[in-house]
Amino acid sequence: MLARIEYALRETWASFRRNLTLTLAAVLTSAIALLLVGATFLIQRAFENLLVQWRGDVAMIVFVRSDASPEQVALIDSTLRAAPSVIDVDKLRYLDKAESYAEAQRIFAGDAVTLSLLTPETIPTQFKVVPLTPDTDLVRSLADQYRTLPGVEAVALAEDEFEVISTLSGFVRTVTLIMSLVLLVVAIGLIWNTIRTAMFARRREIEVMKLVGATNWFIRVPFMLEGLLQGLIGGVVSCAGVWALNSAWTSGVATFKPGTGISSLVVPAGYLSGVMVILLALGAVVGAIGSAIAASRFLDV
Amino acid sequence: MISLDDVTKMYGTDTVAVDGVSFDVAKGDFVFLVGPSGSGKSTLLRLMSREEVATQGDVWVAGRNVSDMSLSRVPYLRRSLGNIFQDYKLLLNKTVFENVAFALEVIGKPRHMIREQVPFVLELVGLAGKEERFPNQLSGGEQQRVSIARAFVNRPLIMLADEPTGNLDPATSEGIMALLQAINETGTTVVMATHDHRVVNAMRRRVIQLDRGVVVRDQERGVYE
Repeated sequence: MLARIEYALRETWASFRRNLTLTLAAVLTSAIALLLVGATFLIQRAFENLLVQWRGDVAMIVFVRSDASPEQVALIDSTLRAAPSVIDVDKLRYLDKAESYAEAQRIFAGDAVTLSLLTPETIPTQFKVVPLTPDTDLVRSLADQYRTLPGVEAVALAEDEFEVISTLSGFVRTVTLIMSLVLLVVAIGLIWNTIRTAMFARRREIEVMKLVGATNWFIRVPFMLEGLLQGLIGGVVSCAGVWALNSAWTSGVATFKPGTGISSLVVPAGYLSGVMVILLALGAVVGAIGSAIAASRFLDV
Repeated sequence: MISLDDVTKMYGTDTVAVDGVSFDVAKGDFVFLVGPSGSGKSTLLRLMSREEVATQGDVWVAGRNVSDMSLSRVPYLRRSLGNIFQDYKLLLNKTVFENVAFALEVIGKPRHMIREQVPFVLELVGLAGKEERFPNQLSGGEQQRVSIARAFVNRPLIMLADEPTGNLDPATSEGIMALLQAINETGTTVVMATHDHRVVNAMRRRVIQLDRGVVVRDQERGVYE
């Protein structure tokens, strides 16, 4: 058993060096493909920070002054509920100070200046409003009406803030997803080709191996390991790239003017490591697929 | 040890390489398959080592029915066979020692066994002292000895030889035949395809003559004719 493992590792390494240029091309392509996959994840997560307050068809947010009395809050609530034909009363939600504060942590993530000004005491609470009507003019006139209520700090409409970002994020997601999928297929193809070339270079050895009774798996394993290793190295390189890009971005947006929204386009560290694990696994899968196809199809050289 | 029962091998729908061949080879036999090029000698050897599958009929080798053997069993069949060829099929980037060791290595034999067996077999085929040479530094006869050492190192039950003297001069051929005879005397069954009438006539062993895929003569202690 030990002799077999030693053989497989030795052959994998030898083949790796023999085919250095092709191997580099395969590794770099998988790295770039995986980098794009990672970027897609990070961009989506960053955009979500901005979109989180509009989740669930929320189209209007009524912000309530932090010093509003409970009576004023109750009045706003009953006013909102007084229009059941326009507002979906069942979906109407009130976020108290603690909930509003937690949400703000995400919206202003990366915006250190704004975050330092927020406290659970001074934060405005809010009503999340889901309208029943698609008529935006009607919603807008309601908003104007609510602004005059006592205790209301501001009324925000999704139409003004949300839709541009939502469209932009959807567009970016589609483009990066398509590009990374195409590149992943290219990476599989390149690894396939590298392994095929490696097998062709060793066709005489493979012929002799079959002749003396080596099993197909014994012949295959070094080649499959080689492909797996190429994908995995691509994964490692892409992790380094994602980490470097994210660090540069995070420190870059921190210097942005507070309150522009750009600075909230950051991701938590835990999410980043999660993405890295996914990239490593995906790299291994890409390598395994490419080399498995090659090793099963070209054994009869 | 080997038993062919009404074996036919066709390539495509109209090329018949072997046509209804039946014969048995007992353990320890030495058999020549003779006949002109294209008479089916090599095809018979390839059927025995399961490089080809019979279109019809059964091929039994070392107690196994090769004709309906699953692909995953083929490597284990090959381990009980030793194959040698006219063109040696040595690995040019490996030394004599490594070429023979390779055959044990790729079937997972432990290293101490390789260190023990390879020098022993190289001594047996008369290549002691040439372990570190590369195939290109050897004569044709010596290269064929390396390939015999590689085929024999795993102690096969059967040696299948396809024109092993085809590229060699008469004197060298004699040496190779003496070696095959010595291997045969250890109890190994030998089946050799050849059209070298000199070696057949010198040995006086069983001769199976083929013509266009059909057995036309099967004779104990025969000559080439």
